[in-house]
Amino acid sequence: MDYYFLLFAIMAVGAGIFTITVKDALPSALGLLTVFIALAALYLHLHAPLIAIFQVSIYAGAILVLVVFVIMLLITPDEALETAQKNISYRAMGAILGVYLIALLIIGLKGINQLVAQKSLPEGFGKPSQIGDLFFRKYILHFEISSVLLLVALVAAIYLAKKRA
Amino acid sequence: MADWQIDLIKVVFIWVWVLLIAVIMTWVERRASAMMQDRLGPNRAGPFGLLQPLADGIKLFTKEDIIPERARKILFILGPPLFAFPVFSAFAVVPFGDKIVIGGKEIILQVSDVSIGFLYVLALSAIAVFGMVIGGWASNSKYSILGGLRATAQLISYEVPMGLALLTIVLLYGTFSLREIVLQQQGTFLGFLPNWGFFKQPLGFLIFLVAAYAEANRVPFDLPECESELVTGYHTEYGSMRLGLYLFGEYVNLVTLAAITVSLYFGGWGLPYVDMSKYLGPVAYGIASFLVFTLKQAFFLFLFVWVRWTVPRFRYDQLMGLGWKALIPLGLINLFVTALLVQLTI
Repeated sequence: MDYYFLLFAIMAVGAGIFTITVKDALPSALGLLTVFIALAALYLHLHAPLIAIFQVSIYAGAILVLVVFVIMLLITPDEALETAQKNISYRAMGAILGVYLIALLIIGLKGINQLVAQKSLPEGFGKPSQIGDLFFRKYILHFEISSVLLLVALVAAIYLAKKRA
Repeated sequence: MADWQIDLIKVVFIWVWVLLIAVIMTWVERRASAMMQDRLGPNRAGPFGLLQPLADGIKLFTKEDIIPERARKILFILGPPLFAFPVFSAFAVVPFGDKIVIGGKEIILQVSDVSIGFLYVLALSAIAVFGMVIGGWASNSKYSILGGLRATAQLISYEVPMGLALLTIVLLYGTFSLREIVLQQQGTFLGFLPNWGFFKQPLGFLIFLVAAYAEANRVPFDLPECESELVTGYHTEYGSMRLGLYLFGEYVNLVTLAAITVSLYFGGWGLPYVDMSKYLGPVAYGIASFLVFTLKQAFFLFLFVWVRWTVPRFRYDQLMGLGWKALIPLGLINLFVTALLVQLTI
């Protein structure tokens, strides 16, 4: 039994349930932070320190900070999230997304019987240089497509900001 | 000695050492500010007032612990430790010396030389901001919430230029590991300058330094606290040792930032022009490299104090303007120029 995995997996799932059930906004965001940190610990366990650090510094450090910023701007500690949680259209969207994600997980599980646990890791596994190498050789197309996607989002953000002013 | 024993000693040593410097820093700050303002500062407790931090600690510990009635209790209690713990653990990847040979065993003076290096420090400082935000929100006070809001906005804004400045360092040295970066900075550059990151990246250093001051919430970037507008910002409602953790965490943060600055831009433990390992024995060399590192670090710690008591605070829009309209474009230009130069020289 892999206790390290078990500890952080339970932590991630528990914090995830807490995130979607708690009635207040900021504790919910903190639950999400715990999920991210538990996931980062699991990545570390899989010998992928760079992914773990990006998990923390990008998801927790940039995206979640933005979420918290919005929470602090709009919701005071006396308010609860109940009105938003009872909104039927939010629930419908959540259900659709949930079903989609579960379907993805099941498709991903299909090949799990053929998996063989590797006893020794290849040289330089998980090093930043190796990940960079993969990005610019094997996955260059994916990398470039995502950069175009980000550029589109950037242009859209500038357009929206200009329209308001 | 087994490896884990050595690691344990290093962890305990660096923990105590960083806390000790942070304690001394609180004294230096008050004495130096007094000096700059033609006052005396705390000089009663012990010689030169050196025991003043101890007296302050006793005061904070014995004060009544007040939790405001309308605060969110659990989050209010959670805030200070959530700020302090990431900050206290960030020093683990800093190389505070070269190596020391004891009993025929070579010991690297660094708790852990991980391949992700300074990204670890960035990630921890990103988590630490949640401590401020939670403290500010849980206090349920307008001043605190405004302070927390400013802390988040400031962190997001200044993490980008800091990241851009650090990217140029990665381009230059081809590694994230602080120890390897320091090793590459020994020797001379262009024949007469020390081979420091500062001489190769003067603009990058400037951007990094400004962003570091903003990340540390120091004057002129202490908008989250901002006594003249927000009482004391996100920790307005805090008292006793909870407040102590916030204040002390900020000093520990300074110690780490100064150490990172020295490692990235000022050659870490190395002396310019002199290779200490040629003249000193293995044990003496280890201690000397540690002392050189501490001296350089002390200069940057004093610079933090110096700037705080000479530069006035920015207005909030000026802070955002500086971050987004000056530092980020400069950082991008610096990145492009460095990339071009690196490409041309390889």
